[in-house]
Amino acid sequence: MLVGKPAPLFQAEALHNGKITKFKLEDLKGKWVVLCFYPGDFTFV
Amino acid sequence: MGYDKLQELNVEVVSISVDSVFSHKIWNETELSKMVDGGVPFPMVCDRGGKIGKLYDVYDEAGGVNVRGRFLIDPQGIIQAAEILSPPVGRNPQELLRQIQAYQHNQATGEVMPSGWVPGESTLKPSTDLAGNVWKVWQPKK
Repeated sequence: MLVGKPAPLFQAEALHNGKITKFKLEDLKGKWVVLCFYPGDFTFV
Repeated sequence: MGYDKLQELNVEVVSISVDSVFSHKIWNETELSKMVDGGVPFPMVCDRGGKIGKLYDVYDEAGGVNVRGRFLIDPQGIIQAAEILSPPVGRNPQELLRQIQAYQHNQATGEVMPSGWVPGESTLKPSTDLAGNVWKVWQPKK
């Protein structure tokens, strides 16, 4: 169970404001974050 | 979709699927930009092979995709809430907002939010006096 535990850190490619960037979860430390997984593009989220 | 409200609450949104960044780009340009002015404002992460989904236990091996898992992470990097839905049903942004407001209130005051709490309603202050006396200060909604 993940609730109450540190969020697993990761880094990966991302699209942000039309540009391809490197995303690192730890860069958001100090902020509230909502991380949303979804099955695939072109579906409802 | 409540993104403005999330910004007000100082919450960063990150979406993530196994699709490539190129697929994210086309989806954003052809469809999402018709729902949201200028396209989505938050990072859309590419999770090739579901490696990140596996870390969060939301990867469906058979389908080769991540299911609808949503994690609320606090400023210390701790997961405070999670919701995992199978593909046919979408999420409820209002419930997410309610949970964020409740956790933020808790971290600011130490107070706790009873079942069905919505912002503006009274909260509870945990103490030994409260044990057995919750009924005096809080009743479930009919």
